[in-house]
Amino acid sequence: MIRHLFKLIWNRKKSNFLLIAEIFFCFLVLFGVLSLVTYNVRNYTKPLGFEHEDVWLVTMRPNSDSTAQNRQQLEQVLSRVRAFPEVGHAALTSSNAPFSFSQMNNSLSYGEVKDVMTDNYDVQDAYDKVMRLNITEGRWFNPQDNASHHSPIVINKMLKEKLFGQEEAVGKLIPKNDTTNYVVVGVTDYFRASSEFAAEDPALFNRINMDKSPDYFWNELLVRVKPGTGVAFEERMVKQLASIGKDWTIEVSTLEKMRQNKAKLTLAPMIALGLVCGFLILNVALGLFGVLWHNISRRNGEIGLRRALGAASKQIYWQFIGEVLVLATFGLLLGAFFAVQFPLLQVFQVESEVYFIALLSSIGIIYLLTAVCAFYPSRQAAGIHPAMALHEE
Amino acid sequence: MITLSNIEKVYQTKSIETVALQHVNLSVPKGEFLSIMGPSGCGKSTLLNIMGLLDVPSQGMVEIDGQPITTYKDKELAHIRNEKIGFVFQSYHLVHDLSVLDNVELPLLYRSGVSASERTKLAKAALEKVGLSARTKHFPGQLSGGQRQRVAIARALIGQPQIILADEPTGNLDSVMGEEIMNILLDLNRLDGTTIVMVTHDENMAQKTERLVRFFDGQQVSDAKVFANNLQQV
Repeated sequence: MIRHLFKLIWNRKKSNFLLIAEIFFCFLVLFGVLSLVTYNVRNYTKPLGFEHEDVWLVTMRPNSDSTAQNRQQLEQVLSRVRAFPEVGHAALTSSNAPFSFSQMNNSLSYGEVKDVMTDNYDVQDAYDKVMRLNITEGRWFNPQDNASHHSPIVINKMLKEKLFGQEEAVGKLIPKNDTTNYVVVGVTDYFRASSEFAAEDPALFNRINMDKSPDYFWNELLVRVKPGTGVAFEERMVKQLASIGKDWTIEVSTLEKMRQNKAKLTLAPMIALGLVCGFLILNVALGLFGVLWHNISRRNGEIGLRRALGAASKQIYWQFIGEVLVLATFGLLLGAFFAVQFPLLQVFQVESEVYFIALLSSIGIIYLLTAVCAFYPSRQAAGIHPAMALHEE
Repeated sequence: MITLSNIEKVYQTKSIETVALQHVNLSVPKGEFLSIMGPSGCGKSTLLNIMGLLDVPSQGMVEIDGQPITTYKDKELAHIRNEKIGFVFQSYHLVHDLSVLDNVELPLLYRSGVSASERTKLAKAALEKVGLSARTKHFPGQLSGGQRQRVAIARALIGQPQIILADEPTGNLDSVMGEEIMNILLDLNRLDGTTIVMVTHDENMAQKTERLVRFFDGQQVSDAKVFANNLQQV
C-alpha cells in the first residue's frame, strides 16, 4: 500500500506541487527556528561554572583625571567594602564582568595550535571566592604569584583542551607577546560568563597585581554579599563609598538583574521568531486542511470505487492519512536535503548535534501537523457512503 | 449465488420518502448471466448496489453463496466484495492518475498476502484476457472509451470473483465498442462460469444474456429466460 501511495502522489506531483512547496518552506522555517531554540536550550542546560546569586557589581567612574588620587581612593574603597560585615568577598575585575555587554579577547597560540580566540578576564585573587569557581587542576591565584617571572593565568577546561588536548596544562608556558609568557597555574571546569544562552568560549583569567600597575584604575568591583542582604545595605554602601570617591559616579547592580537583561536579549528574538513560525504553521495547517477537504470532495468517485473493490471504511481513512504523510515526505526530503548541508558545512560553527536535533524535531512536527490536518477530512472520506459516491460520479 | 428476499429500499429525508425498491424477490444461480432492464429511476442501480453490498436494504434479506449478510460488519462486507464480487461501471471509474496496470491491480491491494510481483503478474494476465496487454503503461486519459471499459473489466476479473456486477457497461460506448465489451462479458460467463448481473438500457444486449428481469417504479415486473431472441416467462 505504501508503494501505491507513493506512486499515486508522484503521479499527481503537478497538482500537489504547491502543497509540497508549502510543506518544504514550512519545514525550512521550522528547522531554522528549532535550530536556534535547540542551540539556546542546550547552552542553557550547561553549567555556567560560577554562582551569580548574591553577587553585586559596583561600577565606579571617577570624573577627575588625577590618576594618583583616583588610585588612592580605589584602594580605600576596596578596604571599606571588604570591611562591611555584610560582604563576604570582593574582587576587582575588568569591565567584562559576567552578564555584562563587554567582551575582551585576544588570540593565543601554543606549539602547532594557532590563534585560539580567547576571552580575557582581569581579576583579583578573591575572584574565585566571589564567583565560587571550581578549580579542577592546579590552583587559583595567591600571593606567591607575585614572585613569578611570567604572567600567571588560570584557564578554563575548553581552552586547555584546545591548546593542550589531553596533556597536563599546569606549568605550561604560553607566549603572551614577544618578550613575556603566560604560565598556567590552574584550570576551571566551565566558565560561560557572556550569557546563559551563549556557548562556552575558551577563557583565561589574568591576575590583577595592584602593586605592579600603580597607575591603572579598574572600575568594576564584584562583591559577594551575605544571603538576604538587601537594598538598605546597598544604599548605605553607596553612600559610604561616595564619601571616599567624592566626585565618582557609583552604580550598583546585581548579577541576577544583569542575567535577566542578558537573557531578554536572547529570548525576545526567539519568542518573536517562534510567533512568526507559529503563525506560518497555522497558515500551512489551515491551507492543508482546506486542500485536503476539497480533494476529498473531488475524489468521491474514487472513494466509492475503492470501497466497491474491497476497501473497508478504515482502510479509506488510513489511505488518506497515508497520502498526506507521503505528500509531507516529498516536501521533507527536499527540505532535509538543504537542512543537512548546515551540519555538513559546519555553518555558524554550531555543533552538528544541534542541527540534527532540529532536523528530527522539524520532521516530527511536520508529520504530526499534516496527520492532524488530515484527520478530519480523512474521517469524512471514510464515512462516505460508497453507493452515493459512485452515483454522484 | 445471490438471493434477494423481500427487498425494500426507501430513501428518507426530513420531508420526502422515496421508495426505490419494493417486494423484490430474486435469485441468481451460479453461472447465470442475468440482465436487468427498466426506465431510468426504476431502481436498477439501487438493486445492483444492494447485490454488490454497497448499499443495505431498508428491509429484506440478501444472501451471497447461501450466507445471509445482513448482520455483517463493514470490514466483512468489504472482504466479500473484494473476494467474490467484481464491478463494472458505465463511467468506468478508473483512477486517472494511475496507469492501466496500476488500475487493474487495485482490488488486489485490499487482499492480504498478494505480493507486488504477483499483483503485476495477475494484472498483466487480466489485461491480456481483455486484449489490452500493449497498453499497461498508458494512463486512462490516453485510451478510448472501449479500451477504458476493457481496463475496468480486467480490474473486475483480476481477483477471480464469482460474480460480476455490471452497471450499464456499454452505455457510454458506440455499438461496435459495446459489442466488443459484451463479447468479453459473454466469454467470461461461458468460459469461466462467472455469474454476471448486468443492468442495461439496450434491448439487443439484454437479448444476448440468459435471463432478463424488468423493473418499473421499484418493482420487478417480469422475469424471463432468453432463448435466441425469444423470451420465455420464468
